[in-house]
Amino acid sequence: MRRRSLEIVLAMVGGTFLISVPWVIPALIDSFWVSVITEILIWSLFASSVNLLFGYVGLLSFGQALYFGFGMYGVALGIDHLGLSFWPAFGLGIFSAMAMALVSGVFAVRLSSHYFAIITVVFSLIFYFLAVSDKPLTGGDDGINFSLPPLFSFDGKVFSLTDPTLQYFFVLAVVSLCLFLMHRVINSPLGKGFLAVRDNDLRASLIGLNVYVLRLIAFVMAGCLTGVSGALFAFFGRYASASYMFYQVSGEAVVWTIVGGAGTLFGPLVGTALFIVIREIVSSHWEHHSLIVGLLAILAVIFAPKGIVGLWNGWVNRPGEREAPRPVPQPLTLQAEP
Amino acid sequence: MSATVRGDVLAEPVLRTENLTKRFGGLVAVDNLSITLAGGRVHAIIGPNGAGKTTFFNLVTGLLSPDSGRIFFRGRDITGARPHVISRLGIKRTLQVKSVFPDLSVADNLWITRQARNRFLHAFRPAARDTETRLRVEETLEQIGLADLAARPAGTLSYGDVAMLEIGMAIISEPSLLLLDEPTCGMSPAETARAVGKIRELSRTIDLVIIEHDMDVVFGIADDITVLAQGAILASGGPAAIAEDERVREAYLGRPEDEDFVEEALNA
Repeated sequence: MRRRSLEIVLAMVGGTFLISVPWVIPALIDSFWVSVITEILIWSLFASSVNLLFGYVGLLSFGQALYFGFGMYGVALGIDHLGLSFWPAFGLGIFSAMAMALVSGVFAVRLSSHYFAIITVVFSLIFYFLAVSDKPLTGGDDGINFSLPPLFSFDGKVFSLTDPTLQYFFVLAVVSLCLFLMHRVINSPLGKGFLAVRDNDLRASLIGLNVYVLRLIAFVMAGCLTGVSGALFAFFGRYASASYMFYQVSGEAVVWTIVGGAGTLFGPLVGTALFIVIREIVSSHWEHHSLIVGLLAILAVIFAPKGIVGLWNGWVNRPGEREAPRPVPQPLTLQAEP
Repeated sequence: MSATVRGDVLAEPVLRTENLTKRFGGLVAVDNLSITLAGGRVHAIIGPNGAGKTTFFNLVTGLLSPDSGRIFFRGRDITGARPHVISRLGIKRTLQVKSVFPDLSVADNLWITRQARNRFLHAFRPAARDTETRLRVEETLEQIGLADLAARPAGTLSYGDVAMLEIGMAIISEPSLLLLDEPTCGMSPAETARAVGKIRELSRTIDLVIIEHDMDVVFGIADDITVLAQGAILASGGPAAIAEDERVREAYLGRPEDEDFVEEALNA
């Protein structure tokens, strides 16, 4: 009971905060922080793809930046080269990321543990160098800029993401929808299958689960989350650049996820928020801010292997104080930790 | 005591292998093995360590592919099929080293085992809403006596309870052939008695093949015994015939410290 009500309060506070950001933040701090929070939401979706693979299926991918890049370039090339409007470009970004995830996943998910990690890096490096060298198409490290097509027009009025408030709510809506869908998947039979594969792939195959196909489905789903975040980031920055396909970008998402809490729905959001806020506050005073990132990552791995959200869940679930142990009917199918 | 309560020996053998061979480098683990297991009976496979018993199970369940030979399950050639395909045909097994999903709850271990019989896992329907599977899980929890531990992560259970959970996972998957690899290994006498009771109960409806080192267990539940040595059949027959077989005594039963249970087995 205690845990449930605490979480409801927390969800209401968090929800209210997120909805009030465009008005509260400029009034209290600076409107610049609205765009920081927008960025946090986008990157947390990126980290969620690492979380889906690592936290729920047991695959540690160090190559998610590849699909992020495909999401970005799908949007940028769609608008700049093909002259697509907003929604088709968005769709093209997501589709290219998923298609690339399917192609590389067919090979990658045959492997486990560190072999899988290595092949994901290799794939992303290959395409990173291709993207950097093919300057006419991708603009290389400089990237390509484009101007934003309108989101929609209604009654003669044109709405576009150039309005920071609309942009913020658009990103919030898309990220919330993705996390909601991920939540649904995790608590579905398919999600239980993912967990079984993560826990013991040998046993999973012996009870009749097709481990290869389950991993491939998860990999393409993760590619979809990554593609959405890459597309959002392209809209947010109005450009796409090969530098976002570098494996360091993938590595950051792994750190954010592990520190925030792998295998929990909101872990990546917490980790991403923490590190981006640190970066924004510290980097203007001190150029070695990544030392803090490293230190926090080490501390988390040693003292909070389940991340910040894992610590929280452990604290909330700790054996109750004075409550007499009553025979409560146990829920048979436990919900995944939020 | 005989476990052939079903008594319906099917014309088609439940499991048949033809000249099955598996080598690991220079070692021949399973050597030209042709074995026929009739339905409706409990088969035990015994033999000294390294006789190829577990390799035989690995070949049947698709974890290994044979170098030569064929495997037929109820007349159907399953040689070289992948583990999940063989599992869906109805062959389930337990592993020598107890193997469950340690971070999933006891109930979820059973839940996913039941769901894995389906070809597709639904991606968006809440798992908790599947009443039919939930009822099956509750029923199985009662059967194996783990209802009180339903919400516990399986990794926190005692060894004996994990073994019972494995048997529960075998029950809920409704196999048509169940391979048990040393089910009572590492169990206390009380736990062994509990497991043997369950296995005997299972044998009424399921074809069983059991690898076991505990001769009390073997002679207590098996209708037929096959003795393997160096990957080949040394002897096969009923428990009494096996206990009296000279070659078996020499190769396996006849070690000095084992003399006692040969007596026991004969008396059983």
